[in-house]
Amino acid sequence: MIEVKNLVKKYGNFTAVDNISFDAHPGEIVGLLGPNGAGKTTTMRILTGYMPVTSGEVKVAGYDVIEDSMEVRQRVGYMPEQVPLYPDMTVEAFVLYWARLRQTEKPKQRTQDVLEQFGLLDRRKKLVRSLSKGLRQRLGLAQALVHSPSVIILDEPTIGIDPKQVVEVREVVRSLRENHTILFSSHILSEVEQICDRVVIINNGKIVAEGTTDILGEQTHSGLALYVHIDGEKAHIEQLLHDLPAVTDIQLHESGFIIRGHDEELRHAVMQVVADHRLELLEMRPVDRRLEDIFIKLVN
Amino acid sequence: MQATWLVFRREIGQYLGSPLAYVMGAAFLLLTGITFNNDLTLSIGYKPLAPALIPTLLASILILFAPLLTMRLLAEEQREGTLELLLTAPISDSSIVVGKFLSAWAYFTILLALTLVYQVIAVSISFPDISHMLGSYLGIWLYAGAALAIGTLFSSTTENQILAAFLSLVTLIVLYFGDAISQIVSNTQLADILFNLTLRGHFMASFAIGVLRAEDIVYYAGIIVIAIFIAIQIVSSRRWR
Ligand SMILES: Nc1ncnc2c1ncn2[C@@H]1O[C@H](COP(=O)(O)OP(=O)(O)O)[C@@H](O)[C@H]1O
Ligand SMILES: [Mg+2]
Repeated sequence: MIEVKNLVKKYGNFTAVDNISFDAHPGEIVGLLGPNGAGKTTTMRILTGYMPVTSGEVKVAGYDVIEDSMEVRQRVGYMPEQVPLYPDMTVEAFVLYWARLRQTEKPKQRTQDVLEQFGLLDRRKKLVRSLSKGLRQRLGLAQALVHSPSVIILDEPTIGIDPKQVVEVREVVRSLRENHTILFSSHILSEVEQICDRVVIINNGKIVAEGTTDILGEQTHSGLALYVHIDGEKAHIEQLLHDLPAVTDIQLHESGFIIRGHDEELRHAVMQVVADHRLELLEMRPVDRRLEDIFIKLVN
Repeated sequence: MQATWLVFRREIGQYLGSPLAYVMGAAFLLLTGITFNNDLTLSIGYKPLAPALIPTLLASILILFAPLLTMRLLAEEQREGTLELLLTAPISDSSIVVGKFLSAWAYFTILLALTLVYQVIAVSISFPDISHMLGSYLGIWLYAGAALAIGTLFSSTTENQILAAFLSLVTLIVLYFGDAISQIVSNTQLADILFNLTLRGHFMASFAIGVLRAEDIVYYAGIIVIAIFIAIQIVSSRRWR
């Protein structure tokens, strides 16, 4: 549904997107993960027909973004990074306007449907300017979905809203998965890990890793990672932990260490060491740092 | 076509729905009303009513009025980011610009039509030259189209409305009084040519004195077409930046 092949985008001499390829299928949420300036927005703007490619081939919903731009635009729902709204329109008029501009069949009915879907029906006569940040985000999603697009492109939809609303947006995105192909960008790793089936990590316009969230995690580390905080002298504790056969890797983290090893043995070995040396275990918890590892490694 | 109409309708809604538009409309009618009233007073005993009075007044008012009416059109879409949604909707770039320009012209047409009330009064109490009067209305309507097209053009160049208004104001002043420099060189031929390039030259020398010339209509239509064409190119070029 989204096919990107050797996409290059230059702004003058500056290469913002440097020869990237990836695809996304119906029923799949693909995360575009990368720090600010990685090229996420640029990539999305090309997919939506906003700007032309410098080179490469990009197909959305089976149509070439350059040759069949109108076909693509009709089939894409897009929520830009800063949700663009007309403050002086009513909620209903706003959604209806986009429904009509995108030649939606039964625009009025569809408008009612999406307003209901996003819990905006009772506010439909309100001016857009009176909506809270969270409701604006929902309105942004409503306009992106009103024409029943097969591909949905959301540029950092959880940025700048409060945690409760973030959860809400994530749930909505998950619920849309069944009938759509979704491309979701973020610079927050845990979010992508939670929501997306697959992730494409980009940095400086290049793909640095790609795969399902599980596989990517395994590439860097198999097994378990634990955060342990043991009372005592750091160097001494480190030596003790290091000497454990179950531990394959150790690194300093906060006031303790992150150790890695193979499954349950690890937990057991730590308890053993603590008991043997009469140490005090202040904290021990599993850490889920699979993607974060890759991210940090790749991006730095 | 459909998209142009939708854009047009939204914009007209904005004009008719915003308090500022009513303030501007009221100021417009007040100004024209006072002028008409003065002329009416003078007509008792001194001189007959001037048939092109209101259009002639509007020719200078529009220099300021057109930038104010049009500054919002595209600059605001850019600032709010809604231009990105418009440019990713399945509509042509030209329908966006044309729809917006036509809405400004239509709003002006409504205001202009309201001043016809004064003309009805004029006709009912005296015998003005009606064809002269209507000709001057046609003239100012075309003239306004050109001024609003220039305003639309500058609104497309920036996301700062004030800057857009300023740029179109300067351009309109130059286009209006531009022939003034010919007074420095004192060459009548040059003065004539320059006068014929100005917005004023195609109104004061014809429509205002009861003359209809094809060249004036072509001049204003030409400005509209060129300004709107450039505005469309500028909006399209957003995609390349
Ligand atoms: N219109 C533009 N002109 C020039 N450079 C741009 C433009 N838009 C983005 N860039 C640059 O391209 C790079 C990628 O930007 P962007 O796609 O917005 O990244 P992201 O969305 O991942 O933060 C950045 O270095 C940015 O400064
Ligand atoms: Mg971005």
